[in-house]
Amino acid sequence: MKFPTEARLRQIIAFVAALGIGVATYITIADSGGGAPTCLAGGGGCETVANSSYSHIAGVNVAVFGIVGYVVLLASAFFADDLARFGGFAVALGGFGFSVYLTYLELFKIEAICQWCVGSAVLMTILFLLNTTRLIGYAGTTDAAVPEKG
Amino acid sequence: MSNKKDREKRREERLQEETKVDAGERRTRLLQFGAGAVFLVIVAVVVLIVASSGGGGGDATNLKEVSAVDSLVGGSPQNEMVLGKPKAKVELMEYGDLQCPICKEYSEEVLPQVIENKVDGGQAKISFNNFTIIGPQSAPAGAAALAAGAQGRGWNYLELFYRNQGGENSGYATDEFLEAVAKAAGVKDIAKWNKERKGEKFTNQVTETTEQAQTYGFTGTPSFAIKGPSTNGIELLGTMTTPEEFEEAIEKAS
Repeated sequence: MKFPTEARLRQIIAFVAALGIGVATYITIADSGGGAPTCLAGGGGCETVANSSYSHIAGVNVAVFGIVGYVVLLASAFFADDLARFGGFAVALGGFGFSVYLTYLELFKIEAICQWCVGSAVLMTILFLLNTTRLIGYAGTTDAAVPEKG
Repeated sequence: MSNKKDREKRREERLQEETKVDAGERRTRLLQFGAGAVFLVIVAVVVLIVASSGGGGGDATNLKEVSAVDSLVGGSPQNEMVLGKPKAKVELMEYGDLQCPICKEYSEEVLPQVIENKVDGGQAKISFNNFTIIGPQSAPAGAAALAAGAQGRGWNYLELFYRNQGGENSGYATDEFLEAVAKAAGVKDIAKWNKERKGEKFTNQVTETTEQAQTYGFTGTPSFAIKGPSTNGIELLGTMTTPEEFEEAIEKAS
């Protein structure tokens, strides 16, 4: 399998980050009126999670932090330098770790699953893998088309 | 001339080599930072999970689901231990024990949909009546809920207690725990609440509703009864396990 070019990785990162912005924005808007996101397949899991005390940090919906993260990741896709590569990796790593923690809370504390939260966790996991690939493949390079060997 | 060209060529090669070495070192540094960051995030996530796994229930210092409960019962008025519009024609009556884990399950998995679909809409109201069977802390907990109800926070108290139950009959429902639940439930006058929960009015009421449940023939918690325009007085409901069954019972009683 051919190692993807950095340009291709950046395109995919931008696309997935844009999807993440959409999901996180929906969760935020749905919560803002005192409501909750609607689970697509029915069931009250989305509402249970949204109404739990874990859905906010210092009064701010956790999805807002997601929006910030996804926007930074989207921005990092527009630059082909080490700052963007490492910055994107660091944000995706933090987002992935936080997603793991939030998923733990859903399963073991709230005991309900919000499909939108799971969706966001999946997107952030994909972004973590993409940014890790980008960092390992292209850190230290100036020629974005060629992955670094060794 | 050719010496100058040779020198320039060698200089250029040397600069390229140095750039390559710098880039290699920079890459190594970045990957090392990345590995360090991964390690730190793993540690942070583990610490968060371990910190969260304390307070599995019955923990006065770490009450869960406060906002979830506020959202659940916030859509309807409360009057003592009745949730819903006073003029609602159907009353669904729950007989439960605050320490009962099955009552907790009903509270979390069955009743929210009923409250959202039937109580918030005004078709029914739901009342909680103490039926204390689990253990010695059940009656004081029940009286504490009634005292919270006297300040309009009975259902907040009840639902919050359910969501923060400790091990059944493990002794977690101490005065400290009861008071923590009252504060988190939004009981405004804690001193008044403390006095009233220990007073005769509410402790007697717990005994009365427990005896009432026994005369109905209830043997476990939660048990349910219903009354409405289409019922013959108070009708006992059999075992119902889904919100839809309760909604159908409310429809029939309407």
